[in-house]
Amino acid sequence: MVSILLFLPAVLGLIVLLSKNKIVTRISLIILPLIYSAIAVLEWFGVNWIILPGWLNIYFKFDSIGILFLAVLSIVFLASSIYSIFYFDEHNYSVQQETTYSSTMFLFAAAMVGVILSTHLALTWVFIEATTLTSALLIYFEKKKSSLEAAWKYIYICSIGITLAFVGIIVLSIGSRSFNSLFFSDLYLHAAEINPFWLQISFAFILVGFGTKIGIAPIHAWLPDAHSEAPSPVSAMLSGTLLNTAFLGLLRVQGIMIHANEESFSNFLMLITGFLSLLISAVFMLQIKNYKRMLAYSSIENMGILFIGIALGKPGIFAAMILLVAHSLSKTSLFLTSGNILHLFKSKKIENVQGLLKKDSLTGWIWLISLLSISGLPPFPAFIAKFLIVKAFFAAGLAWLAVPFFILLAVIVYGMGSAFFKMSFGEIENGNKLRLNFSAYAGQIILLFLLLMIGTNLPYVVLNLLKNAAGFLY
Amino acid sequence: MSNILIILLGTSILYVFAASRIESYIKTLAFQGLILFLLVILDIKEINWLNIAFLAVETLVVKAIVIPFFLLRVIRKNEIGREVEPYISQFYSMLIASGIFILGFVVAFWSAKIGSGVKPLYFGVSIVLIVASLFLIVNRKRIITHILCYMILENGIFLLSLSVANEMPLLVNLGVLLDLFVGVYLFVIFFNKIQEMFDGSHIDILTELKD
Repeated sequence: MVSILLFLPAVLGLIVLLSKNKIVTRISLIILPLIYSAIAVLEWFGVNWIILPGWLNIYFKFDSIGILFLAVLSIVFLASSIYSIFYFDEHNYSVQQETTYSSTMFLFAAAMVGVILSTHLALTWVFIEATTLTSALLIYFEKKKSSLEAAWKYIYICSIGITLAFVGIIVLSIGSRSFNSLFFSDLYLHAAEINPFWLQISFAFILVGFGTKIGIAPIHAWLPDAHSEAPSPVSAMLSGTLLNTAFLGLLRVQGIMIHANEESFSNFLMLITGFLSLLISAVFMLQIKNYKRMLAYSSIENMGILFIGIALGKPGIFAAMILLVAHSLSKTSLFLTSGNILHLFKSKKIENVQGLLKKDSLTGWIWLISLLSISGLPPFPAFIAKFLIVKAFFAAGLAWLAVPFFILLAVIVYGMGSAFFKMSFGEIENGNKLRLNFSAYAGQIILLFLLLMIGTNLPYVVLNLLKNAAGFLY
Repeated sequence: MSNILIILLGTSILYVFAASRIESYIKTLAFQGLILFLLVILDIKEINWLNIAFLAVETLVVKAIVIPFFLLRVIRKNEIGREVEPYISQFYSMLIASGIFILGFVVAFWSAKIGSGVKPLYFGVSIVLIVASLFLIVNRKRIITHILCYMILENGIFLLSLSVANEMPLLVNLGVLLDLFVGVYLFVIFFNKIQEMFDGSHIDILTELKD
């Protein structure tokens, strides 16, 4: 299974590059995420075939949290792949451009799967760096001046950040000389033997390093640029899966802190950076003129809430897992729909867009329903998550923190809502209605359907998956 | 012997602080790669030859020859001679560099005192390299200098990992090297594109995206 997940993208990429055929490219683009989701489901039911035996299995393994992240990744990847087909047609890309896009996307997905599966801290680092390198090419795919600037900032800032994370890993290996291993299982088992001083320094470095990739404030500078300049299906992948995988890396390191009974230190740092992210996105949300950047700041906000959830300990982690799923699915839907809006109005500025519901009603409705989902209104899972986080504030004896939390969330929802309503309602200049290709809506409809299903009638299987993932740390 | 090499490595960063020709940065980079190679060779006490051979190739071939050669070709092709006036003047940068050295030596003494098991001089100088290269990145304006300082940062981290006795498994080493290599390669591709599209290579020109 593991070998399929890691090597199939490379094989498919090679096939796509050699075939030089649009149909082969598009079929592989759809098939890969389907295979990924099939593997996630099979793993969940305990089916595990080992095809290539031996050394790989030490370094790559499934655990309960890995299955959840793989499932989210494959759903987001599927939606983004469906949308990519519309994106290709819209821009009339040549065969060569389509094959380059698809094969880079496959490598990007493989790198993220590597982060999810790896059982070794330094190997996790290697794959997080690999995600930067592959996705930088995708951000620059449209070859415009602004996308070049975004790609440069992205690759440079993230490389420096991830380098600091490596300092953290070396510092951790100074502290763990007694058992001399960087496998997560060994680190958890012998956590009490690690020198607490080196462990704390190491966590601070790793927080800065992986935090750069997660897009947490104050090291989020690359995120709005990269998300707004990348092609829409790539923005969706960045926001819906890339941030998650880096977050998983940090979560595993937080596991070491918990096993070493040092979590008060890491929780404090995560609580501060989490609130700082909320504050920064609230401040910017009121003055942003570009709707794709607005979505990017909303990602920073959600990552901040995830940090707060983790920092609140056991009850917060379950809430964080729900929020992670809710954020990935709804943000993917929003970014893909923003591609439709860009196509309809040829502008990323909020002021140039109005009357979306009149121009293309389906796009308008998807846009508004996704807004409800990301803001955390009742039928959607983000509501449950935020409710549970407030409950966790009370459980942790930090009830007073719920007040700034609510105020900041209200500001963010107000900022996003007013912009979204302005874009959706109003008159259009020339009254012709448009209906785009089917593939411009299919992905978002699947995502919203899944969100409604999780939010209204949480299936037992999904609940178990979330519970097991949350139980991974304690 | 290895102590002298470490001191040389430390002084090379002072040279970078004083230099203004980009070519001398690259020569420093090659020089640092060579010293790291000698340090790896002098340090041999393990039987794991595969790992040692790998480290030797990484330092001598990649750090001392391939990357400097590659970067040298880039600056010759783009006809970049000098660094432009930095944000903080030369004199104050030298003062800050001395401050960083003092910090490095304090850290070295302290790590020897608490008996952390790291090699003190290695540890101190690697801190100097890391902090100094981060300072240089913030202070310099040319994009190519940013790439070069990133490589100095990587050398500092390599030295830091030498200061710890624990070795990484070969697979991990291989991955790290591959990532760095591809990283630098991509940096240079993007650098060339920026040179082409923006008609210049100062970071001041990259201001199109902001809120």
